[in-house]
Amino acid sequence: MNARTESFAVATHGLSMRYGKQTALDAVDLRVPEGAVYVLIGANGAGKSSAMKALLNLERADEGRAEVFGLDTIEDGPRVRAQVGYIPEAWEQAHSWLTCGQLIRHVAAHYPAWDQAYAAQLVEIFGVRPERKTATLSKGESRRLQFVLALAHRPPLLLLDEPADGLDPVVRNRTLAHLAEHLADTPTTVIISTHHVHEVESLADHVGVLDAGRLVAQLSRDDLRRTVRRYRVEVPEGWEAPLELRTPTLRRSRGGREMQWTLIGEEHDVTARLTAAGATVRDVTPLALEEAVLAFLSEEVAP
Amino acid sequence: MLVNLDPNDARPLYLQIMDEVRRAIVVGTLKAEDPLPSVRELAGELVINPRTVSQAYQELEREGVIYVRRGQGTFVSPTAKRSAGERRSLALAVAKRALLEARRNGLSAEELVMSIQKLAAKEDE
Repeated sequence: MNARTESFAVATHGLSMRYGKQTALDAVDLRVPEGAVYVLIGANGAGKSSAMKALLNLERADEGRAEVFGLDTIEDGPRVRAQVGYIPEAWEQAHSWLTCGQLIRHVAAHYPAWDQAYAAQLVEIFGVRPERKTATLSKGESRRLQFVLALAHRPPLLLLDEPADGLDPVVRNRTLAHLAEHLADTPTTVIISTHHVHEVESLADHVGVLDAGRLVAQLSRDDLRRTVRRYRVEVPEGWEAPLELRTPTLRRSRGGREMQWTLIGEEHDVTARLTAAGATVRDVTPLALEEAVLAFLSEEVAP
Repeated sequence: MLVNLDPNDARPLYLQIMDEVRRAIVVGTLKAEDPLPSVRELAGELVINPRTVSQAYQELEREGVIYVRRGQGTFVSPTAKRSAGERRSLALAVAKRALLEARRNGLSAEELVMSIQKLAAKEDE
């Protein structure tokens, strides 16, 4: 048994997973603090779903290990799964002949912690109609049903894989608001995977960025806001950026004697470096989450 | 109370919430003994992690701006008036934003102040 990684609800250690020759996860060290709403961001195929499946032991990692609340996800698979509410990206209709009500009762039987009264409330809140056959549900309707199933046992960990998928903007906002209210009533750690950052931006207080299976950034929202900023500088004619400024450069563009950079670092350090290099910093702006995240993805790095 | 959060704002969300509560008190939309929305309500309304709201409320409570009545909710402190100090810090925050915008446009602080005075004089006429 390994000692629990201090105060993290979820921790992975060098987690790697391959499908044939394709790398899904490459030595990923997730650190999700208890109570965080951790948004795992990446393009399709970046490894988000694989990471969640590894936590539930639905898929085996090739290397490394994972802990949920200090429990090893392989040795303690059933105990881990009992503490997790999971909304998979693609929902396989295993019980398509059941009505929503029947499915809810069926799932309830698997969770000792199932809260019957709360389940009834959630059915109401999410507008699930118990008499409907699950096979006939639209994507949005089955998403809402899944939220009922995932929340009704008040699990201490929620794994939501593209939860807003298939929801129109109004329903999405209402669903996320319900999620926020649920978190107020029930202490929960949440991992949300998405490639549509703006959809869950307001909820996120921790961010992880996956790029082709590698975790290229992992930090709190406040740290991201503080350390990834856009600098607009005025430079002399023919000015070339010194080498040490090129490394942390994420994106840059140039118009006349004005240049714009997205740089990582504490603002006073970066400003001091730019000034020392002969540039005049005109403007420093923080970035919205989506823009800041883009900065970490390799396609966006200027040649 | 209306709380507006700006995703492009450099300040952490809990600080933005604190500033919005202070602003509401300064402009008078929140008065002494007025109730604040519950953590649950505000988290749902803003679609943010309730822990962020709790953090803001705890800081405000420590500063004596609001207080918790057990089992009843959170209220504006009787002492939280539109104090001169609060007005000054609000004015400083507004000035800071204006100054940043001026710098961005290559203007000096003097040019900005002169223009503001000119505009204000015109409005008074």
